[in-house]
Amino acid sequence: MSITNLLNNWSFYRQKRPYQGQYDLNRQYSEYKWAMALDLDICTGCNACTTACYAENNLPVVGKKRFNQGHVMHWIRIERYWDENMGEFPEQGASFLPMMCQQCEEAPCETVCPVGATSHTNDGLNSQNYHRCVGSRYCSVNCPYKVRYFNFWNYPSTAWPAPLPDQLNPDVTVRTKGIMEKCTFCVQRLNEAKSRARTEYRLVRDGEVVPACVQACPTSAITFGNIVDPKSKVAMMWKNQQVDLYKDMQEKDNSVRGYRILEDLRPFPSVMYLERVRDMEA
Amino acid sequence: MGRVREGRVLKMEGNPESKISGGKICGLGQAAVQVQYNPDRLTQPMMRVGDSLQPVSWDKAMALLEEKTGPKSGINGNEFAFMTGAMSGHLKVLVQNYLDSLGSKNHFVYEALSPAVSFAANKQIYGVDMPRLHFDKAKLILSFGSDFLGTGASPVHFAKEYAKFRKAPRGTLIQIEPKMTMTGANADRWIPIIPGTEGVLALGVANQLLKHDDFSKTVPADIVNLVGKYDLDTVSSITSVRSDLIGHLAGLLWEKSPSLVISGASVEGHVHGVQNAAAIQILNRILGNVGKTVDGQAQSPFPQLAPATGSFASLKAMNDGMGAGTYKAVFIYGANPVFTTPSFMGFRDNLRKVPFKVAFVNAVDETAEECDLVLPIYTAVEDFGSHVAWYQPEGVEITMQQPLMDKLYSDTRSMGDIMLDLVKQRRADEYKAWPNFFSYLKTAVTNIKPAVKYTDTDEHFWYDTLSHGVIHVDAPQQQIAENFSTEMLDLPTTVNSPDPKFPFYLIPSERHYFRDGRHANCGWLQESPDPLTTVVWDSWAEIHPKTAASMGIHEGDYLEVSSQNGTIKVKAYLFPGIHPDAISIPLGQGHESLGRFAKGVGVNPFKILNPVFEKNTGELAMFGTRVSVKRTGQSEIVVKDEGPVSTQMGRKLVVTLPADVAQLSKEI
Ligand code: SF4
Ligand code: SF4
Repeated sequence: MSITNLLNNWSFYRQKRPYQGQYDLNRQYSEYKWAMALDLDICTGCNACTTACYAENNLPVVGKKRFNQGHVMHWIRIERYWDENMGEFPEQGASFLPMMCQQCEEAPCETVCPVGATSHTNDGLNSQNYHRCVGSRYCSVNCPYKVRYFNFWNYPSTAWPAPLPDQLNPDVTVRTKGIMEKCTFCVQRLNEAKSRARTEYRLVRDGEVVPACVQACPTSAITFGNIVDPKSKVAMMWKNQQVDLYKDMQEKDNSVRGYRILEDLRPFPSVMYLERVRDMEA
Repeated sequence: MGRVREGRVLKMEGNPESKISGGKICGLGQAAVQVQYNPDRLTQPMMRVGDSLQPVSWDKAMALLEEKTGPKSGINGNEFAFMTGAMSGHLKVLVQNYLDSLGSKNHFVYEALSPAVSFAANKQIYGVDMPRLHFDKAKLILSFGSDFLGTGASPVHFAKEYAKFRKAPRGTLIQIEPKMTMTGANADRWIPIIPGTEGVLALGVANQLLKHDDFSKTVPADIVNLVGKYDLDTVSSITSVRSDLIGHLAGLLWEKSPSLVISGASVEGHVHGVQNAAAIQILNRILGNVGKTVDGQAQSPFPQLAPATGSFASLKAMNDGMGAGTYKAVFIYGANPVFTTPSFMGFRDNLRKVPFKVAFVNAVDETAEECDLVLPIYTAVEDFGSHVAWYQPEGVEITMQQPLMDKLYSDTRSMGDIMLDLVKQRRADEYKAWPNFFSYLKTAVTNIKPAVKYTDTDEHFWYDTLSHGVIHVDAPQQQIAENFSTEMLDLPTTVNSPDPKFPFYLIPSERHYFRDGRHANCGWLQESPDPLTTVVWDSWAEIHPKTAASMGIHEGDYLEVSSQNGTIKVKAYLFPGIHPDAISIPLGQGHESLGRFAKGVGVNPFKILNPVFEKNTGELAMFGTRVSVKRTGQSEIVVKDEGPVSTQMGRKLVVTLPADVAQLSKEI
């Protein structure tokens, strides 16, 4: 967003808060709006997705000391929770939560970036422009999901002792000190698929492209796709689960498992989770 | 499979044509590229000069091999031993042929975490090493310590099966084990138990079931009689499982048929491991699950390619031989026994007694450090090969391995090529048709053609095979037996009564990305938080909060954990998913070698294991060691991913829905 753009469209941008019904998916997006559905009942907490993300997106290994200082760079992490009302033992097992950038439609990080380094793309991603980022870290402070990761160190010089750089993915930049990064929904894969489709005068087909985490997941707990296409699996899942991208405080039937995390903060996330199920009679 | 760009492999993916993985991949598979580009890879042959290993040319290395083990060395078959890790496929055949050429029977297959006890139990009962399990047909899975989602035969395959099991109509998983595994963490109900008493609990449940006419006819009268001893109170006091739960389990099994009852490492790693597992399997018999959720795998038409999965007996035989000075030369490939053997065996000292020791490795590990010749071999992404997994869900699948890239280092060689050279030392004529392992493999694989009824040319078959990456062979299903006898179920009456000097049961747990420690030198895996504790780059001791409180132990306190065979110093992590009388330390860390990401990280619990053996198989009883726990007064922060609070604090992060409310069948 340039200053001129901002001034020209002042009335649009000065809106106080997003309100219900402000948007409509099809007006907002003509071709693509990428989204996910993640089934917490079959996610086993195995971390295959996180390792795949390291491999795909050139995430640096930071080591024990920096990990302890909170400098870890895992774009997707598996949170593990114990039940609050647990007695002596966790009798219903653990709760695992894969947490990555939720690609919010009203991303709280976007509005606070002083240089507009993080903004929305026309396929509905919350993008991070590494060249523009000045490292203010406001976005990270404002992210309710805490999924933005800052390069406190010059990882290219330390994280990949030779010949490990040979394994880096040439489709993804290696980020340097002083900038913010986060899950991109594997934008490099999306862009490749989109341009391939464009050369064939068509849209990307459902299932034609998946992010690295989705591809790796042994239980296929994550579904990915374009929710503009009502026939895509992800769109059908969102509909079936009565989750609407532009609604907050979703009202739905008791038996329906879909929800979005911290949706009452109204960031309108693009990741729908499906509730974990437990057989209470067991 | 992998993505390759400009001759470099960049990322590994699962092969969608595999019936085993279904195109999925775990973190270990991903990490293959980190083995490939590991900064600590061995790039040239090394030879012992005095106390250290010095670089040497391949010519010199092979000349030395020839001198020490070639036809002119005068070595006879009994004086030679070849230790390998688990092996299958054509490289295994070649190793076998080499040993034959030497007239040696000493192929010692050793895996520290082998399925030998479970195979032995299955063999007694079902007449096969491993039956086939149908998760998707089971309404209830009752698992006694089987961590099928984390470790074991094929976590990727079982994760896929597990996902089917959880779809509508959603199956229920109950896990009973002394320390929560990844599988336990996903259970609808997790029940802690005193280690080693799982069989008693199973017989307690059987006792409840056999009270009903429906079930009492399923087993012979002497078994009904024996099971009759296991009444609720007895079982509850031995196992520490509440008696109402025992009845509850029986009720659930009755209600949710067919079910599937399975057992795992924490059941098998005891003196009575085979009986413990058999007592659990009798539930499948009583419940009529055999033939429904438990049946036979396909009978492989290629027994020579079948996997050798390794055993402790074979390690022991080799260790004894070395100690007695029997061997003039030993080769070691795919195993790191100096790291994985308990101190009491004195493996390192025995190895030192062998005059000529050769290791074939990707990186110098603890065992290679002791060797006289260390040969750098190709990694999995540089080499050809064929593999057969020991769990085959559909027919028999031969996995083809082919190079994803040219060798990274000019001074490394293919293990197959080396083996072929070695075989040719004595059988040059027989093998002269094959200049290298590639050509040998091509011929051997092409020989499979008739078995898969492929009608096109050999050449087409070979390229087809490589492009699919797997060969599926339809093979008849193995018939499984159902032998149960009272002797099989002969469980000790006082299972594991506590020892006042060593009050804790030690649980050396297998981490899903570390296994026996061979993968510890990958940064990704070190930094991948342990799923249950979220600890990274370290070892830790899991102790129940209640026990910790009674001993004044806080997270990060250094504890001295001692068995009769040694002491390790390790930080405490307070973990609710463990029996209060047990303490668990993960395996795989504590390397003294292997490389920068592994060396000096954490501790190695293999070292303090006691000489306790499973009585039917002679396997090391991994869960049979008792320890004492002492605070040292020192403490240090535990580096982990979780925050200071381990619950959701009332936020709706992971929401749980009762199964009877959810309507999975209406979902997409
Ligand atoms: S979508 Fe891509 S970038 Fe995001 S978590 Fe998954 S693998 Fe990582
Ligand atoms: S790979 Fe799949 S099952 Fe494993 S932690 Fe990630 S989402 Fe969960």
